Amino acid sequence: MESVAHSIGLSAVMIWTLVKVLVVFGFVMSIGSLWTWVERRGSAMLQDRIGPNRALLFGRWQLLGLPQLVADGIKFFFKEDQVPPHATKRLYWIAPMLAFVPALIGFAVIPFGRSFTYQGALYHLSILEPGNGMGMLYPLAIGAVAVYGILVAAWSSNNKWAILGGMRASAQMVSYEISMGLAVLAIFMRVGGYDPGEIIREQVTTGWFFWRQPFGFLVFFICMFAETNRLPFDFAEGESEIVAGFHTEFGSMKFALLALSEYAHMITASALLATMYFGGWAVPFMPVAPVLLTILFFLIKLLFFMWIFVWVRWTLPRFRYDQLMFMGWKVLLPISMANLILNAWLMARGH
Amino acid sequence: MFLLFALITIIGALAMFQQKNVIVAGLCLVLTFFGVAGLFLMLSNPVAAALQIIVYSGAIMVLVLFTIMLLNSHEEEPALQPRPFQRWTGALLLAVFGAFALRLVAGSKALVDLNKAAQPVGGMNLARVGEEIFRNYLLGFEVIGLLLLAAMVGAVALTKKEL
Amino acid sequence: MAVIVKKVELTWLDRSYVWPIAAGMVITFRHFIKQITTPTSRRFTIQYPDMKKTMPKGYRGLHELKRFEDGAIKCVACFMCQEACPARCISIEAEEFSELNFTQGFEEKRPRVFKIDMLRCIYCGMCEEACPKDAIWLRNEYELAAYDRLSMNFGKWDLMNTYAAADGKARLSQDSESPATPSRPASASSHSADPA
Repeated sequence: MESVAHSIGLSAVMIWTLVKVLVVFGFVMSIGSLWTWVERRGSAMLQDRIGPNRALLFGRWQLLGLPQLVADGIKFFFKEDQVPPHATKRLYWIAPMLAFVPALIGFAVIPFGRSFTYQGALYHLSILEPGNGMGMLYPLAIGAVAVYGILVAAWSSNNKWAILGGMRASAQMVSYEISMGLAVLAIFMRVGGYDPGEIIREQVTTGWFFWRQPFGFLVFFICMFAETNRLPFDFAEGESEIVAGFHTEFGSMKFALLALSEYAHMITASALLATMYFGGWAVPFMPVAPVLLTILFFLIKLLFFMWIFVWVRWTLPRFRYDQLMFMGWKVLLPISMANLILNAWLMARGH
Repeated sequence: MFLLFALITIIGALAMFQQKNVIVAGLCLVLTFFGVAGLFLMLSNPVAAALQIIVYSGAIMVLVLFTIMLLNSHEEEPALQPRPFQRWTGALLLAVFGAFALRLVAGSKALVDLNKAAQPVGGMNLARVGEEIFRNYLLGFEVIGLLLLAAMVGAVALTKKEL
Repeated sequence: MAVIVKKVELTWLDRSYVWPIAAGMVITFRHFIKQITTPTSRRFTIQYPDMKKTMPKGYRGLHELKRFEDGAIKCVACFMCQEACPARCISIEAEEFSELNFTQGFEEKRPRVFKIDMLRCIYCGMCEEACPKDAIWLRNEYELAAYDRLSMNFGKWDLMNTYAAADGKARLSQDSESPATPSRPASASSHSADPA
């Protein structure tokens, strides 16, 4: 690896980082688009339907409806890219990117496998090396910024429905961020650090936080739904009330980016859930597991949570807006506060 | 890197004043916050950077934009009348301020250190932030807490006419 | 009449949301398992162009003008169906034909033109009810579409051949009134025996 790196004038570390970035982002994007298929077929199965299966690859292979992905992609690329006449043009153009980029880069600190040493050098399986000082604050910060994509998209398209959706989304995000932060704080406190690597190591030795902080998990889980704008909380786009919410005016590839960013959010949220409450890459009953197995287990946990996102979406109807606010401020916030104080009390008593 | 973030900050701030459109101005302010967060990172204080993004751009600006969207339509507000006097005074004050700031920055000792090879400083982490706040600056922290409480009470008292 | 809606008292378990949601998810997952293990042919959805629903017995689809075994039309152009039709989509022109055909007995009338405008037809089955000769049936064909209005105007021969392929009968395109048509059973048998 050293020689290859030197031959193109880069250090091994840079090559390693580059490889990680490419692999991880490629993975996130492909899983994200794959999950549109899972969502459609899975929801069909949950509702006794069949789902998209008419697209054929080369007119012959149905492949469980997977060619629908390709067909959709081609369609989005070739659709006319319309900009509504009253839109704020520049913001309208950057809005999909504002939505997509935070969704994608939130994944960067999540370790997706055990760190390993190879030829005396330590390699970490996460894009940002641990000990960068940001730790778990980074995905929270990125998640906080993600709302701008929706807000800008909503405002720039100059549509009343879109603005309503954007406003609801922003109010919702702000109210759920607090309980989420408090739930996460309880974990930081228990671990005594906020680096994802530390959090996972703590869980390897003392058990998953899912068992130790079930209420914290519940709060965080619900907040993740609110943060990703998934169905019990998808107020940004309530189809039955405000047409399509913030992306009413968006078409072609811009819409595809907005839709994909939701899935990228789901991936990041699932990774966060897996890392913080389900031991990340830790393999149960195996304190020292081979690296590939840890990656596999991380993948399994990730995909399981992504499936939960789909599953919940097709089970529950949308909340009412006042119910959402009620839950955010009067239920989740007290629970997460109580969780924090309980943990602090327990720690003070030496548990 | 420092220049990049500094430029982002300054451009964001200037663009904010230039904009007639309130929402775009708000977004420029967010850009400025990002620049400041980057500067915090340069100062090897990632905690402050993260908190800057979470609190300022993640919560406060979202609320501000929310309020603007709630109240305002798309109209861009033109100035009611040209105010040459204010404008020129503002420019003069800005120039004076800029000159002093430049002198201050140029004469500071940190600039000398900047030329040395950048070494990763021990840096601020969450634990040290906590120590600083709760050990060395406890009084200030509590006072700020009280101030915020007072502000909250005031806000409630203002909005709820009959309690 | 006023209905007194009974107010549902939620237990604390229900009000916690968590338990009912979990129960709901179990239900949906049960459906998921059931649906994913059912072969496509036995699912509720009929994959339309590949699989077709078999229509029930009394289904009123595309009309057929019935014929006798020798191919002569059963219709006697009595105009009952035209009168009965609420959509007024049937138009008949009768003609006389004097040849005494065996199967038709002493009939001397038949439709020269028998047209049904399928775009106006409402498939109510009144024509079928009205027909004294049992000559028009509404059967199970339901895929009726065309690219222009004219081809939805079914003529006499179209109507007689609508189910020819399905029933394995010959397609007809003219009345069986050629001189070779037998008028007596005896002559018919002699005709068939006669090589000339």
